[in-house]
Amino acid sequence: MSQSIHIEIDRLEGTLLRVLGLIERRGFHIDEIDLYDLGPDTRGLSVRVRPRDAGRNIDILGLQIDRLYGIKRLEQAPERAQTVRPNAEKLSA
Amino acid sequence: MPTNKPTGAQLVISTLKALGVDVLFGYPGGAIMPIYDALAGSGLRHILVRHEQGASFAADSYARATGRVGVCMATSGPGATNLITGIANAYMDSVPVVFITGQVSTHLMGTDGFQEVDFLGLTLPVVKHSWLVRDAAQIPAILARAFAIAKEGRPGPVLVDIPKDVAASFVEASEMGELPAWTPAAPKAEAIEAAKALIEQAQKPLLYIGGGVHMADADAEMRDFVERTGIPFVSTLKGLGTVSTYHDLHLGMLGMHGTRAGNMAVQETDLLIAVGARFDDRATGKLSAFAPHAKVIHFDIDPAEFHKNRRADVAILGDLKLALPALRPTMPDISEWVKLNKANKWQHRFKYDAPGKGVYAPALLKSLSEKAGKKFIVACDVGQHQMWVAQHCEFEQNRAHLTSGGSGAMGYGLPAGMGAKLGLPDHHVVTVSGDGSFMMNIQEMATLRRYGINLKIVLLDNSSLGLVRQWQELFYEENYSEIDLSDNPDFVEVAKAFGLSAFRITQRHEVEGAIDRLLAADAPTLLHVLIDPRENVWPLVPPGASNAEMMEERWDEPIDSY
Ligand SMILES: Cc1ncc(C[n+]2csc(CCOP(=O)(O)OP(=O)(O)O)c2C)c(N)n1
Repeated sequence: MSQSIHIEIDRLEGTLLRVLGLIERRGFHIDEIDLYDLGPDTRGLSVRVRPRDAGRNIDILGLQIDRLYGIKRLEQAPERAQTVRPNAEKLSA
Repeated sequence: MPTNKPTGAQLVISTLKALGVDVLFGYPGGAIMPIYDALAGSGLRHILVRHEQGASFAADSYARATGRVGVCMATSGPGATNLITGIANAYMDSVPVVFITGQVSTHLMGTDGFQEVDFLGLTLPVVKHSWLVRDAAQIPAILARAFAIAKEGRPGPVLVDIPKDVAASFVEASEMGELPAWTPAAPKAEAIEAAKALIEQAQKPLLYIGGGVHMADADAEMRDFVERTGIPFVSTLKGLGTVSTYHDLHLGMLGMHGTRAGNMAVQETDLLIAVGARFDDRATGKLSAFAPHAKVIHFDIDPAEFHKNRRADVAILGDLKLALPALRPTMPDISEWVKLNKANKWQHRFKYDAPGKGVYAPALLKSLSEKAGKKFIVACDVGQHQMWVAQHCEFEQNRAHLTSGGSGAMGYGLPAGMGAKLGLPDHHVVTVSGDGSFMMNIQEMATLRRYGINLKIVLLDNSSLGLVRQWQELFYEENYSEIDLSDNPDFVEVAKAFGLSAFRITQRHEVEGAIDRLLAADAPTLLHVLIDPRENVWPLVPPGASNAEMMEERWDEPIDSY
């Protein structure tokens, strides 16, 4: 069964690759991707994912995506480790 | 055109100095030449290694040993790809290292230019974060962020890839800006309360201490917690030394080559308290049979570790320096449990009276750690010798045991010893290596010699890839496939050719004198020890088995001299 994840990402070099690569490496198939504009610095990314085996947990995937830099918001964003996340987007190039 | 504006490369160097870097490791080449040009005469101490992999491992162990951020530089293409093993190593063990690589000029990128590889793309899975710098004016701010990201939260490697034209371009005014503040997360009061309640109900609590504790610099808080609660503890490979391994309540390492007492305690416990540990398969064995009767409290700075391999009943997110002191349970009576564990520890202690006259490596390592005293740091390679170090050396201080844990990268030991000795020059730093591993970065003996780095090397030579040989013996019906290294060079002669002192022992009675001579030497020295190729590491949990199913030591044959 596939589930959707909605993420807001910075327009930072590599952010999209990081997210998609991480999803695949952590054991999920990507069934559908939708990328859309949410302003000058932000893009929205909706991904439908399906675990490759029963041992894969989408909540843990969410936590792993959330710790990437350049992720502004994850729908049902799990608890974050940092209380202050400095804005890396100023350092995009 | 003469100008007094700085170049991007000059900004790299001035920013590294402003960030307090005192030593960096690297190797130059075409795309990073502007940065090496700015480095010359800058006052920054650069260690020119003989292979980029050596630089990456040295920077990694410098960071592990000192608690500072390691720095490593290499050129584009092959220079950069030679760093990958080291970057992955730092990622797996959460070590803060900033890697600065040269890249081909911007207009050549994407054209398969000479020495071009998409290094940002290649390293995405093994870095905490990375930048491809397109504007030299951003260099100070990017480097400052790179240092901050490498250290904050769960530490890790960060890559800054700088195209040659960007490094060479002149910059208008630019500065680091204010360093972004990172506020460590404080644990939630409810989580602490829930953990307290679990401990107060437990009858057989056990601490499972991982490498995260000393990465968080929370060793003192961990020791205090052990003293306050009196809870017995087991360590992971990377957690060894966080609380003195001599401690009465220490049951040894857990897992594949863990102690019998440690693994028995994990099987029996009703409350496992994991601190900065990630339930790695080498520690847990078969997950479904790991700590089968236990509830779990899990402390970590990285929320993505919670419930990843084992569901936690209570997950405590936050900085261990804050979280451990916050947890103050009223301890139930666990004296029977403590007594049982101490009895197991005594009954299953290691024995050193192997028959025969040959050198028995575990006894040698035990003696080495006893003689080296408190300021003893071991950098290991990977193999049987690494497991013997973990089992038989005692560590009394934080950051004293440097090992490639998560990645298990052969070739780590020699450059790691070098990086640690540069970071902590007044410590006894010893690299313990195997003949296979040593050959993987043997060229760094030249770096030791060049900079007079007083590293001591114990080379345990069994003329084979011992750990692989052991697995072939036990799990592949003695089908020995491609593990024979009996045509090794004469390591003493090799070391001498590199300008090191070196000597060899082959007999047990030579061990004590050799260790004294090694530790007393005031120059880099290699002790070459010939050991029995048939020697194995015991105990051993077979792959895929539960930690309860340990295979035990067999001494059916004498350890002969060689
Ligand atoms: C770079 C790398 N290649 C291969 C391995 C697989 N491996 C693990 S231990 C080992 C043998 C190590 O031999 P040696 O360094 O001589 O140590 P010993 O086990 O004999 O003590 C090998 C090949 C590895 N861990 N790292």
